[in-house]
Amino acid sequence: MVTSTVLEQVEERARASLGTWERRSLGVVRAEDAAEFARAAGERAPHLVDPARADFAVHPMYVVSLLRGAPGADAAEFRPDGMYRDEVPGTDGLDVRLMAGGQDVRWVGEVRAGDLIELRRALTAVERKGVGEGFLLLTMEKVYGAARGPLVEVTERFIVR
Amino acid sequence: MTGRREHQVAVGQAVLPVELTPDAITLLRFGAVTRNAHRIHYDTGFARSEGLDGPVVMAQLHGCLFYRAAAEFAGESGQVREVEWQNRAPACAGDRLVVTGTVRSVDAVGGEVTLDLLERCGSGDVVCCRGRAVVVLR
Repeated sequence: MVTSTVLEQVEERARASLGTWERRSLGVVRAEDAAEFARAAGERAPHLVDPARADFAVHPMYVVSLLRGAPGADAAEFRPDGMYRDEVPGTDGLDVRLMAGGQDVRWVGEVRAGDLIELRRALTAVERKGVGEGFLLLTMEKVYGAARGPLVEVTERFIVR
Repeated sequence: MTGRREHQVAVGQAVLPVELTPDAITLLRFGAVTRNAHRIHYDTGFARSEGLDGPVVMAQLHGCLFYRAAAEFAGESGQVREVEWQNRAPACAGDRLVVTGTVRSVDAVGGEVTLDLLERCGSGDVVCCRGRAVVVLR
């Protein structure tokens, strides 16, 4: 009997989920939350950090940086490492190390305060990299949209070791 | 840089640097507002058990610096259309992050300018992220 490694289990699970689109609500964008995000990111542009200004704009990186909308998650939704169990496909319940690999963020519309944001995402590639057992590089396509249509498209990569 | 137009931009032109030194407080604030509870960002013992030197900067915070570099280049009347980055090495809490760049190409017809961007971290010359951005100048 051949025993698969943990990484092989992740790979098998991830490949099984390729191309499956899922949806998640990120809730309604609040100007105050977007301003708090901008400040936490070290931003100083007045139109991004002061929601009282007439020209206030939601920081373009805000919604794509949100891992969850309000009111957050229950304790049972987290892995022991603090990441959400469903954030990186194929890794739920498995003792693997997760790292971000990078992102490609493309803005096709403007996120505004009051927008109800829905995230659609699908795993689109599973690659084994490195020597020996190496690591897995997972690529995910994400679309953030509101009632008026898509606003931001993201290609995100996760590294699983 | 207000009023910059694509015909005033040349390939190879420098992107003005932007920098940030995110400390543990920065990471806690950023993690809270993005609801990111991954322990590699605040738990030193856990981060070291994962082979890291200590709590590391979130990928999205790197992205924010890339965005800011592009937005400042585009100016108030310009627009950032795309930002892309690849994580090359982890940056730890307290590391000074500096994003620099150059103009890769200029599309005089569409008005798009593509920037090559690079983020260095710490006191050395470690490249922690490489990427690019596409901006439109008006």
